[in-house]
Amino acid sequence: MHFSDLGFIALILGLGCAVYTGCVAVLGAQRKNTRLVESAKRGVLAVAFFLVLASAALVVSFLSHDFGVSYVAQHSNLAMPWYFTTAAFYGGQEGSLLYWALMLSVFSAIFVVTARRVAPVLAPYVMVTLMAIETFLLIVLITVSNPFARLSVVPPDGVGLNPLLMDPGMLIHPPMLLMGYMSFSIPFAFAVAAMITGKLDSAWLRSIRRWMLASWSIQTAGLILGAWWAYHVLGWGGYWGWDPVENAALLPWLTATAFLHSTMVQERRGMLKVWNLVLVVASFTLAVFGTFEVRSGIISSVHSFAYSDIGIYFLVFLVIIIIVSTGLFLYRLPKLRPEQEFDSVVSREGIFLLNNLLLVGIAFATLWGTIFPLISAALRRETMTVGPPFYESVNGPIFIVLILAMGVGPLLAWRRTSSRALWHNLAVPALAAALCAAVLPLAGVRDIWANVGFAVCTFTAGAIFYELWRGMLVRHRHGEAYPLALYMLIKRYRQRYGGYIVHLGLVMLAVGVIGSHFFQVQQVNTLKAGQQMHVAGYTLNYIGNIEETGPGTDTVKSIVQLWKDNQYQGFIYPGRIFYQNFGNQPASQISITTIGLTDVYVLLADWNGASEATIRVFINPLTSLVWYGGALMLIGGVICWWPERRRKGIQVNSEMPGIPGVAAPLGPPATTVEQGEKQVGQDDKEIVV
Amino acid sequence: MQPALAAPTEEKIPSRRRKRLPLSFIIGGLAILAAVIYLVYANTQANAVYYMTVSELRNCTTCTTQSVRVAGVVQQGSIVRNDQQQLVTFVIAQGAQRLPVTYNGVVPDIFRPGIEVVVEGHYTGQGPFQAQNLLAKCPSKFQAATPTP
Repeated sequence: MHFSDLGFIALILGLGCAVYTGCVAVLGAQRKNTRLVESAKRGVLAVAFFLVLASAALVVSFLSHDFGVSYVAQHSNLAMPWYFTTAAFYGGQEGSLLYWALMLSVFSAIFVVTARRVAPVLAPYVMVTLMAIETFLLIVLITVSNPFARLSVVPPDGVGLNPLLMDPGMLIHPPMLLMGYMSFSIPFAFAVAAMITGKLDSAWLRSIRRWMLASWSIQTAGLILGAWWAYHVLGWGGYWGWDPVENAALLPWLTATAFLHSTMVQERRGMLKVWNLVLVVASFTLAVFGTFEVRSGIISSVHSFAYSDIGIYFLVFLVIIIIVSTGLFLYRLPKLRPEQEFDSVVSREGIFLLNNLLLVGIAFATLWGTIFPLISAALRRETMTVGPPFYESVNGPIFIVLILAMGVGPLLAWRRTSSRALWHNLAVPALAAALCAAVLPLAGVRDIWANVGFAVCTFTAGAIFYELWRGMLVRHRHGEAYPLALYMLIKRYRQRYGGYIVHLGLVMLAVGVIGSHFFQVQQVNTLKAGQQMHVAGYTLNYIGNIEETGPGTDTVKSIVQLWKDNQYQGFIYPGRIFYQNFGNQPASQISITTIGLTDVYVLLADWNGASEATIRVFINPLTSLVWYGGALMLIGGVICWWPERRRKGIQVNSEMPGIPGVAAPLGPPATTVEQGEKQVGQDDKEIVV
Repeated sequence: MQPALAAPTEEKIPSRRRKRLPLSFIIGGLAILAAVIYLVYANTQANAVYYMTVSELRNCTTCTTQSVRVAGVVQQGSIVRNDQQQLVTFVIAQGAQRLPVTYNGVVPDIFRPGIEVVVEGHYTGQGPFQAQNLLAKCPSKFQAATPTP
């Protein structure tokens, strides 16, 4: 008996449990039998247990180098360090599916454990939906994509992991992104449960939003890490290539972002109910579509996945999801009436609608570009593709408008805003933006689009800082020091200020993208020892090549001195690393030196003997801001998500429109009242989670 | 007030006697929708690149001016590099069809005989295909696509 056998048995038992749980949950809900529902809850925990067991069996197979397991032999070898051997768990198709199923079961278990807060009517249907997805994954794992399949002949050593994957990024980026994809199942399950039961109350809204926030944060982390990895490993000087695989990860993020904004309208004014459900279902559908797309080989991508027949399973699954959710929509539609009406475009609702249209517009354009080969093949019988220029020129302008809306939005009140109040709030940031637009050309920013982009970012950053400043000022007047005031502000109004932090992160990221997109300089030179190359104020002094041998690897490095404006910056060692089993596929060791906010990105393109090298240099201005901005977005997301201590006796759900919300009544009441008066649109009520 | 025939979002038609979505919302929504659709349409027109097979390429009349993409497997022993000019020539094959390619620029890390590449560029009908872009299909994050040595 091998560990792999144990794993396979665990998968089968997990499938049994999942099917049982689904059936019992439905029965329990239909007959209103709490004992059956309780049994279903325990069933969910059992599924999680079996999947943890199966995953552990696979990890143990890897760590004990059981090359009798085909998957282990394909993705690891004896020379790999233990952490890459463990990470190889999700390094291939079978394992990544198992990882997905594992994460789904773990999240389902978390749902069950925390389900006390969820309306008892909803919980069984959430479980049914989750278990249906789990069942699908387990069937695929057991039949077509079995990670525990054994070889008849046990090879002495495995193939090893692909060199591009032998990077610290491998340890965290794929699991994060896969977890992100998977996590959209939970909001989806909530949506399905709400459509079946017709219970879309404020408690439901709070739960689904918190889960969506979690998914959003995970997906944000996955996307940023993916970009970071591509930047550090692939060696083309960029971090985002609009490849179908990248787009697939971006799509659900966009619709989730839209959802997080439009739920505020639903929460506040009882509108957009149908639209919000559409967004939740779309996020999950797009996540499944992404998995289908990258694994079916239907769209040509620079990432080649194993072209197995697994694609058809996902296609069928996708079709089922779409049919079921459309059916539920039609069934539930008559009940989903908005409770209130729209008043004025110049209002918080108006800007949220704008935000939604723009985000969905970006998602549409990206999806269009991604599946354009299929569309053109169907319509014109010719396969055509669109490349990065398409996405840049479509999504670029939309993003800029989005960032502008992001600056204006928080300054608008619900329902309607007088133009005087609006101007009062906008004057300072608008002035800052105008100043920025006027000064930048003097500083060498001649490109009109870059200038517009920077000015818009300045505006929005200015608006956010202005808001923060005014909030702090109010608290400061009540005797809090500024740092404490800021801390208290964020602590007390987590959703609002967490949102601002996310916005600020996105603005930083946008500045980084604009900088590296418009002002990247690249140059290639073949140098002999002692020769220099000059790129945009930087001087590279090439000294020679060295070779290093490590366990299972062989590395060629160039020794280069880096100078900036005649100031010595240090030695850099761009190189190539060869892995034993992948001798034909050297991986680049890119040298990235960050000076200020500018990256000097140096790549050893080719070499000849010990004293000749072809060196490719990218000067990427402001790229660091992409990472800082991404990190800030993540922090903001977590702040928004962070559970608040429950407070008793606060009811904020049945509020009349137009009356400023009674802000959370903790702390000095004078502060809250004053804030409500002083700041237009500061009347967000606090959600007690 | 206008009936909400073309509501910009999926916002469903509200209840009986109340007023519908205000006109300003409809106009604003439609304007944004139109802008997005225009952007997508215009840029599709401007940026679409034909994906062709080698045999289609041979019969292509517009490929001198229009950029096209061709995929194929790099042939053994066909790679000739000129490091001074960063020039590389090679032959890609698609089934039995072969196509010589010249490319000027930095070659991806994993470029070597036997891998699948996508070249993008112009073809005059004779001589080699002039590639402006060379994309190597990168063995994915999740699958070691390279055969065992």
